[in-house]
Amino acid sequence: METKLYVKVLKYLLIVVLALLFLFPIYWMFTMAFKPYAEWTAAGGKIYWVPNHPTFDNFRTIFTRQLRMNPIAGTALRPIVNSLIVSTIGTAIAMIVGTFAAYGISRYKAGGQLPFFLLQLRMFPPIAIIIPIMIMWAFLRMIDTWYGLVVIYGVVTLPFSTWLMKTFFDDIPKELDEAAIVDGCSNFGAFRKVILPLAKGGIASTALFVFILNWSDFLIALVLTDRKWTTIPVHISKLQSALVGQLYGPKAALGVIAIIPPIVFGILIQKYLVRGLTFGAIKK
Amino acid sequence: MANIFLDNLVKRFGKQTAVKNLTLEVKDKEFVAILGPSGCGKTTTMNMISGLLKPDSGRVYFDGRDVTDVPPGKRGVGFVFQNYAVFTHMSVYDNIAFGLRIKKFPTEEIEREVRGVAELLKITHLLGVSASKLSINDMQKVALARSMVTKPKIFLLDEPLSNLDAALRNIMRAELKKIQQELGQTTIYVTHDQVEAMSLADRIAVMNFAVLQQYATPHEVYNKPVNLFVARFIGSPTINFFDALYESGRINMIDFKEGKIELSKRYRNQLNSLLKNNELVVGLRPEHLKVSGKKKNYNLKGQVVSFEPLGSKTIVYMHPDNNQGLIIKSAMESDFKPEIGDKLYLDFKESGLYVFDRKSTELVLKF
Repeated sequence: METKLYVKVLKYLLIVVLALLFLFPIYWMFTMAFKPYAEWTAAGGKIYWVPNHPTFDNFRTIFTRQLRMNPIAGTALRPIVNSLIVSTIGTAIAMIVGTFAAYGISRYKAGGQLPFFLLQLRMFPPIAIIIPIMIMWAFLRMIDTWYGLVVIYGVVTLPFSTWLMKTFFDDIPKELDEAAIVDGCSNFGAFRKVILPLAKGGIASTALFVFILNWSDFLIALVLTDRKWTTIPVHISKLQSALVGQLYGPKAALGVIAIIPPIVFGILIQKYLVRGLTFGAIKK
Repeated sequence: MANIFLDNLVKRFGKQTAVKNLTLEVKDKEFVAILGPSGCGKTTTMNMISGLLKPDSGRVYFDGRDVTDVPPGKRGVGFVFQNYAVFTHMSVYDNIAFGLRIKKFPTEEIEREVRGVAELLKITHLLGVSASKLSINDMQKVALARSMVTKPKIFLLDEPLSNLDAALRNIMRAELKKIQQELGQTTIYVTHDQVEAMSLADRIAVMNFAVLQQYATPHEVYNKPVNLFVARFIGSPTINFFDALYESGRINMIDFKEGKIELSKRYRNQLNSLLKNNELVVGLRPEHLKVSGKKKNYNLKGQVVSFEPLGSKTIVYMHPDNNQGLIIKSAMESDFKPEIGDKLYLDFKESGLYVFDRKSTELVLKF
């Protein structure tokens, strides 16, 4: 049956409206980052939809130490580097452990009900566990260290990586492992030579997902870091001054910087994000 | 040289028994089909032969050597999976060379073997192509090539033709038979298609509910099925079954108003000595059952409900006159043109009857 024209129009209209709604905050952040002080404060009582006098002042502010606008001792450089280090290593831990665990669960039914427990673990609100963890970390002298963050990031995102990788492995027919094993591979050989290459797409998209989780964490970094190892989200929250209150312009500038790595990562693995390409081996 | 002996294999999955006390002997160079409906344990049996599954009890012998604890890669078997299991992240060449590389063959030899087997299967032009771009038919050939290239003594095929379209299936069936005869491997072929099993195999192992029902030549499973299941599973259209009673030297087919069949003295004597009780199931294959408007030997009557002119023959479907719930099939000549509602007499030779014991379901006598 032909879809009626007005239904089509309505459908696309709805899509456009929703897209604008969701993209607006990003648009606002981008423009704000390039607005001078007079335009990003509401002090004048006027709203600027686009920067009238585009400037890099906000970026200069967050990377300079002794400016009137920047009451924090450090620049944003250190938090950016910190975020890159802890998110990357945390993601690597979650991916390596998660991939092995998921393969065991998918193929050998290892752990019985464990996969389901893993999922249930994620229903715990992080705020419920963060205080006990802070106390543990304090005893272990891991507060405000890179490894303190890396360990907790790896652990917190492990259920995600395990669960996601399990679904990818479940989609690869076990006959592929078996074919490799009949041809003389060991179990691990079949995993390394056949299954891992076929799961590339799954690994890439899971890694991106886990990286974004780690990258955007605020709560854990807020509680477990102090000065040296603060991350971007924590640093953004600290950008305020007694004089003007919230420094929206510099916050927006750091926000713009913060969304670059996930976007770059996403573009790099784009060809793997299209799932299903590798699963043509089986015709059912 | 490779004969296979399965000694009392048992495999359970949880509470379910997938294979129960299976003993099977396959001679060198023999082509054996394992035939049965889905879930009957045929693939499990195959996996125990290949070593992918370990039996819960029982042993597997190749050439008299106990290989039960030998890993799959060291058993010297080639395995073609139902879904082919082609490695789509590799080229066709790499797929075929996979096993040889694992076994660390020198590069020149790999090249020679791969090209040889590709030529045999007529896929030389595909060697450089990525396996993910293959059609289903070519995938099947690559899967065959990959398992053949290591020159296994034992070839295991798990429903290799079931995903192909009908035309190619017939071609590949003939090809498989030819290849097997050329290479002379011992071959085990799992299928649920009785036509494939009948046409390819030297012997057929019919399985149902985890149990081996019969292991015999195609001729024998057709003509001397050991029980009702085998009789129903082999043959197309399926065999007709009638409930019957054995009464003082006569078979009384209770689905017919006048269903008494007089038996010749020879069969009567045999039945008298073989029957343990008088409740029978009588089997009669459609191809042995003829119908006509005139009474010949028997008073059995049926009414035509439908018919299928298939070109080479016409299948006539009828109700017996005393049981509207039963359908009888008869395979007639293609020039036979009945009318719906026709009342016809059944005719058959005494020697076409299969007599089963209704309680044990086992064959008592094939006339």
